Amino acid sequence: MKKLFALVLAVVMVLALAAPAFAADTITIGVYEPLTGDNGPGGKQEYLGMQYANLETPTVEIDGTTYDVELVVADNESSTDKAVSAATQLVAENASVVLGSYGSSVAIAGSDTFGEAGIPVIGVTCTNPQVTIGNDHYFRICFTDPGQGAIHAQFAKNSLGASKVYCLGELGNDYDQGLLNYFQDTAAELGLEVQKEDFPNGTSDFTAYLTNAKNFGAEVIFAPCSIPYGQLIIQQAASQGLDVVITGPDTWDSNMIMDSVVATGLDVYCTTFYGEGGAPEFEEGFKEYLNSDDTALTNNGGNDMIAAVSVMGYDAYYVALEAIKAAGSTDPADIMAALPDVTYEGATGAIAFGENGDAVRSTAFIKHANAETGEWEAELTELG
Amino acid sequence: MDKTLQKDPAKKIGAAIAVCLIAALYIFLILLDNVLPANGFTLMLIPVLKKGAIYSLICVSMNLLNGFTGLFSLGQAGFLLVGAYAYAIFAIPSDQHAAVYQYFDGGAIGFSIPEALAKVLGENAGAFLGAVICIILAGLVAAVFAALIGIPVLRLKSDYLAIATLGFAEIIRAIFQWNGVGPVTNGSNMLRKYTSFSAIKIGEIKLATAFPFFIAMICIGLIVLLINSSYGRAFKAVRDDEVAAEAMGISLFKHKMLSFVISSFFAGVGGALLAMYQTTIQANAFKSAMTYEILLIVVIGGIGSVSGSCIASFLYIACNEWWLRFLDSGGVTLFGKEITVPFFRDGFRKVVFSVIIMVIVLFFSRGIMGDKELSFAGLVRKLRKKKTAEAAEGGAGK
Repeated sequence: MKKLFALVLAVVMVLALAAPAFAADTITIGVYEPLTGDNGPGGKQEYLGMQYANLETPTVEIDGTTYDVELVVADNESSTDKAVSAATQLVAENASVVLGSYGSSVAIAGSDTFGEAGIPVIGVTCTNPQVTIGNDHYFRICFTDPGQGAIHAQFAKNSLGASKVYCLGELGNDYDQGLLNYFQDTAAELGLEVQKEDFPNGTSDFTAYLTNAKNFGAEVIFAPCSIPYGQLIIQQAASQGLDVVITGPDTWDSNMIMDSVVATGLDVYCTTFYGEGGAPEFEEGFKEYLNSDDTALTNNGGNDMIAAVSVMGYDAYYVALEAIKAAGSTDPADIMAALPDVTYEGATGAIAFGENGDAVRSTAFIKHANAETGEWEAELTELG
Repeated sequence: MDKTLQKDPAKKIGAAIAVCLIAALYIFLILLDNVLPANGFTLMLIPVLKKGAIYSLICVSMNLLNGFTGLFSLGQAGFLLVGAYAYAIFAIPSDQHAAVYQYFDGGAIGFSIPEALAKVLGENAGAFLGAVICIILAGLVAAVFAALIGIPVLRLKSDYLAIATLGFAEIIRAIFQWNGVGPVTNGSNMLRKYTSFSAIKIGEIKLATAFPFFIAMICIGLIVLLINSSYGRAFKAVRDDEVAAEAMGISLFKHKMLSFVISSFFAGVGGALLAMYQTTIQANAFKSAMTYEILLIVVIGGIGSVSGSCIASFLYIACNEWWLRFLDSGGVTLFGKEITVPFFRDGFRKVVFSVIIMVIVLFFSRGIMGDKELSFAGLVRKLRKKKTAEAAEGGAGK
């Protein structure tokens, strides 16, 4: 009896160990995103789009062989000092291609690790020009900050008819400061009068800044900061009774900003990558997925409103699949060589790579937060 | 046994063991960089070892101040920042200035020390020597900052000193981010493209992992020599009882200043190494949370123990950045099968990690080493005693 038991146990263990050998071939796509830290919520939403895409299309055909696509995620904690080890983790997991990251500074910080390992990376919503400049392995499917800053200046001048704009950004945040820089450049060309101020990290009282905006006579406040600051600025502007339009960057395309707008009734606009209704099939499927999975719904902020970063994550996954198909191989070097010529018609529009591996994007969306209906109303604009 | 009269053979054996272990370590590190196959294990081991070595130095420098001189300072992140920036600013190649200082017209500094040396000495030697010079420069700049701040701040005691130094770290961060000094510090934006560990090599032999160990070991060695010198004994006297120390003729201010400046010098060196490790540097990362992280490692290792700080650094970094990552992956892989564990999800690692730290702080409040040091001579002595005790057959071993 004992012998038999031992034998069975041994067979089970051998089978278990040998199991991977019977499994279909797999190809690993690395996901380099912040899942904790300041940018955790945004990173999770971007990852959700990829997870849904992976659920929808879990395999890829390479030279007649079907490969299972496995997503491996590494959390960079929204922090540049954790970027190296997170990136190394994906290298260690033999990722063929990497997607991410939400937040340009972590993308830049992890870039060299991927570069040294020869793994191509597809940036999803990292908009800082420095991400792709000066390297061959970083690609990107979204628009960049110079274009975004220019759109905001043109929008303030032409659509909102403003002559004075107050700019507010976080000190020490390269994303805020970069966008403000490009905004000011275009504003100077357009003849807009601009006053710019910075607030230190961790500020929760914006009264003084908003009073300055009022004294300056600003008609528009441009505040390219992260979501928590955006919420505070909107709420405090409303409680001070400011009669201004507030515009924000792509990070503001979030249900959390919408909640603040509904509560205050202020006029708020933001730029974004995707307009609601752009891809009805995707929206329907994605909402169904969110509602069927508790964890996914929690990661999306508790409701099934679609964030633009999720759609971008979804498209990034398919761009990666196209690149793998074009390369006809799981080797990172082949995929890197194939990537510049990849084109894909995604939910956010046509994607192709141009100079520096940046996406050729001629359009962006400007969204208006409708305080009455609680819905975003998107409008397509040409990038300046 | 009268140790003072006869030479202690255990000390010799201990030193021999230490030398052998260090040699073995360096051989392993060089093999790791050059020969050993790159698989999942070695790939993750390399960054953990690098960062562990750097954090060892940073924690020992904080321990010198907090553990050996009794000055409760929380300004470590500020000095790391100064060191990291001083290193990066002087090590960015001039042809990269336009790209790095994109909003400041190429910045105000038009030269790079490693680049200038590379022209004279050749690429590898230039990178190595340039990096070392920049690292020393980073330490000196941090030390100068410490000397200036020390004059008013070191007249304060305990809590007040902690608050003042914490404030210093925050102020220095805000100054470095200010656009007014942007042509030098690049304002809120990153510094990058400077000489990093991967540029350090001799011929074809890469020293990317051995280099931080080399620098950290020299620095920690210097700190240990200092602690064992008459200055070190004076530091400890100040820590134990200021009034008594002063009565013995120790100048309180002079010794506090000395400890503060030296600790900051090595923190600056640590900051420079951290900059090399990260390949990009941004003032935003040097928040007070970083100081608390370092303080935590010092407490886990044992306040007043150099070897404790080193051991704790490696353990902390390995847990934080490597061993506990599987907790985030949603399940474990056993025998090739994926097993989903309900609690395992993004961010769960942080919960487990916090609990471990709380347990350590609550139940092992003296840390891993207390105020003792890991010593091979002591180990040899212990083993010998055991032998003699056994030989005496249950006789009084002590």
